[in-house]
Amino acid sequence: MLEVKQVSKIYEGKVAYRALRDINLEIDTGEFVGIMGPSGSGKTTLLNLIATIDEPTTGNILIEGNNPLKLNRNQLAQFRRRELGFVFQDFNLLQTLTIKENIVLPLTLDGKRVKEMEEKAEVIAEKLGIQSIMNKRTYEISGGQAQRAAIARAMIHTPKLLLADEPTGNLDSKSSKDVMEMLVSLNEQEKTTMMLVTHDPQAASYCDRVVFIRDGQFYSEIHQGDSRQTFFQKIIDTLSLLGGNDNDFSSIRG
Amino acid sequence: MTFRQFVVNNVLRNKRLYAAYFLSSMFTVLIFFTFAVFAFHPALNGDGINPKAIYGMGVAGGIIYLFSLFFVLYSMSSFLQSRKKEFGLLMLQGMSMRQIRMMVFLENMLIGVLATVVGILLGLLFAKAILLIAENILIIEQALHFYFPLLAILITFVSFLLLFLFISFFVTFFLRSKKLTELIKGSTKPKTEPKASLLLTVIAGLLLLVGYVTALYVKGVFVVYAMLPVIVVVTIGTYLLFTQLSVFIIGRLKKRKQIFWSKTNMLLLSDLSFRMKDNARTFFMVAIISTVAFSAIGTLFGFQTYLTGGVKEANPYTFSYTPNDDDGKSKKPEDVEAIERVLEENKIDASRATAHLKYYDIGRDREVLIASESMYNTFADLLDKKQVQIEEGKAMVVKENFAMISDPSMQVDLIDKPLKLKNGEEVQPTREMNSIVLPEMQAYYVVSNEDYKQLPKPLYETEQIFWKAAPGQEDAVIQAGLTLSEQIPPYKFQAIDASIYTINKSYGPILFIGLFIGIVFFVSAGSFLYFRLYSDLDEDKVKFKSIAKLGLTEKELGKVINRQTGLLFFAPIIVALLHGAVALTALSHLFDYNLVKESSMVLGGFLLIQIVYFILVRFLYIKQIKSAL
Repeated sequence: MLEVKQVSKIYEGKVAYRALRDINLEIDTGEFVGIMGPSGSGKTTLLNLIATIDEPTTGNILIEGNNPLKLNRNQLAQFRRRELGFVFQDFNLLQTLTIKENIVLPLTLDGKRVKEMEEKAEVIAEKLGIQSIMNKRTYEISGGQAQRAAIARAMIHTPKLLLADEPTGNLDSKSSKDVMEMLVSLNEQEKTTMMLVTHDPQAASYCDRVVFIRDGQFYSEIHQGDSRQTFFQKIIDTLSLLGGNDNDFSSIRG
Repeated sequence: MTFRQFVVNNVLRNKRLYAAYFLSSMFTVLIFFTFAVFAFHPALNGDGINPKAIYGMGVAGGIIYLFSLFFVLYSMSSFLQSRKKEFGLLMLQGMSMRQIRMMVFLENMLIGVLATVVGILLGLLFAKAILLIAENILIIEQALHFYFPLLAILITFVSFLLLFLFISFFVTFFLRSKKLTELIKGSTKPKTEPKASLLLTVIAGLLLLVGYVTALYVKGVFVVYAMLPVIVVVTIGTYLLFTQLSVFIIGRLKKRKQIFWSKTNMLLLSDLSFRMKDNARTFFMVAIISTVAFSAIGTLFGFQTYLTGGVKEANPYTFSYTPNDDDGKSKKPEDVEAIERVLEENKIDASRATAHLKYYDIGRDREVLIASESMYNTFADLLDKKQVQIEEGKAMVVKENFAMISDPSMQVDLIDKPLKLKNGEEVQPTREMNSIVLPEMQAYYVVSNEDYKQLPKPLYETEQIFWKAAPGQEDAVIQAGLTLSEQIPPYKFQAIDASIYTINKSYGPILFIGLFIGIVFFVSAGSFLYFRLYSDLDEDKVKFKSIAKLGLTEKELGKVINRQTGLLFFAPIIVALLHGAVALTALSHLFDYNLVKESSMVLGGFLLIQIVYFILVRFLYIKQIKSAL
């Protein structure tokens, strides 16, 4: 459903900086893919490119065979709010709105009927177990609840692709576990395709597949086997090769 | 790094943060200084200037100074509000409250002195332009040449130094020690939504209604008595309108999901209610300040037209001469000759006509002018007005429809009264007409030439000679009028354009001061709005950035910002326009003079300026927001 073909991204500036180099990635419908890599490896850049917030310098990104970058800015905005869902590290909930209002916001902007919005909010709140906080304000709830509300907002319009940028970055381990389990169950029940960018090996271990990038290049890819525990171990192993300062895979300084 | 170095660097290396406060301070200095340059101009302080005008300027200067104080205080406190986080950080590093107060004090003095100096320097640059404008608005014989305003510089410098010193002391009291965590959280701590009480909402509506009805209902001198209570009632009403009624209405709208959950309304309304506490205060201040500006300028402008416009309408002739023989010997031939000579010297093309006005007794102690058709037509011709034809046996009643002078009770019954001729026949008035042709303020009859000869002996007869200059030679006419006014005493000779000129001349400084203060108030109202808008800029940037990620088209973004800024800019101004309109209507009741044209010109002018200002600010704001996306 998602195809990233030979994508490079160069930030122009006094010193041009190549954030991504010839990245290829395919994600099937219903798949849950994690992207990992050290700081500055280009994870978030890749996510932003797929999210259509940014444009690649070369290469193509196809979502269901279409190139969203061919749309004009207004169509793109509408594409984002109809076809994509976003979950951010800092939740990005509007503090002027209640939780319920935050959740229905994408539908509201699309001009949906109030009844329909109420029904959908009801359904998604039940699924995520946040009925009790629906009328609270953002400062009255915990981080874990806020992230679940953000997931509800990202899912309310049943997007084709859910993009999550460090969704557990601001959460304690218990909340992280809850949020990740929530995402997995949504992935299984709704068959929503998901892509997750994270630092957290624990969170990544919930994915079907984890792709590692480093210095803007594809590094390796591992799949979840039978057990999440062994997958977690494999992720840790890969990271230890990937992340250290003095690992000798480096060919750059050769 | 000593403590002082730290403070100075903190300001100088952080220019952007301090810029807004600095600019607003500088702006007030600039205004005060420009006013001082004008007020202390040698040409306006010499002999022959009305001492009242000088006194008026003193008062105006005081008002501007007092206003500057509040304005600077306001910008200072909103500036400090936005720096809570910084204070928290400094306290975390172990800075004592005393040191923070010291820091704020020093900063404030640094900015104050800089603002004063830069304001004066900029004022010097603008001084010539202001003097030029003043020269054109005022009627002053000698030009307002540029001079080096030493006195103005000294006064501005000393008074603003004192002002900033005062504010610096004052502001340190504001900084009461709050909990460190609160300071560090700073502005991220969400504000609570204001609550509106139904009772106060109703009271707000009632107060405004009572104030308006009273202001519109009272007539004549009662306007003066009603003024103070109405102002108090309306001011309180306005305050409640913005703090209660608006919150109430928005709360109501938010409860209706059909409205609130419809497209961008959700963003707009939630933001409005969220910021209502801050907005309400700004709205109230802007509304009241603008009302003062509108009313001041409207009053002065209306008063000027009342003084001059009325005169011109009632006296359509350029010169009028009444031979007055009370002193025994008539000087009529010499005077008329003198007038003709001056007209010739000034190359004025004017036509002359003489009126022999005969007044008759028509009973009930009323005397009335009866004129002949040919006399009326001679004067109508002189004034380029419509000629009339009157059949024998009929008469026409001519009235001035000029509210200022005419007394309706005096002229109601003329049309019902037949006139008796010598030969016993009666002349029947058949029609009425409104025009100003003959120099008579009361209503009068015009009869046919035949009937005129048949009129009985008049009670008395007057003679007046009139000149009407052809249009397009106004300056020469004023000059000639001024010359003649010196030669011939005013009870005999009237030169209307010269009189208006004299009125304008003595009235000019007052008008200028009024305009100046009005504009100062209006501009400060504008900058209040600007501060309010820009203090939310960072918050808005974050907000729109996160919404844009979810998908917000540019059109929708524009729509939200348009409505948000539009409300900010126009809600208080529309209230002020309403207040102003009511105030000016009350004023016109006081003088019994129609001020609709002047009021709508003044109010419309302000609305137009506000619209232009809105378009400009909105453009900049959208640009800022878009740059953050």
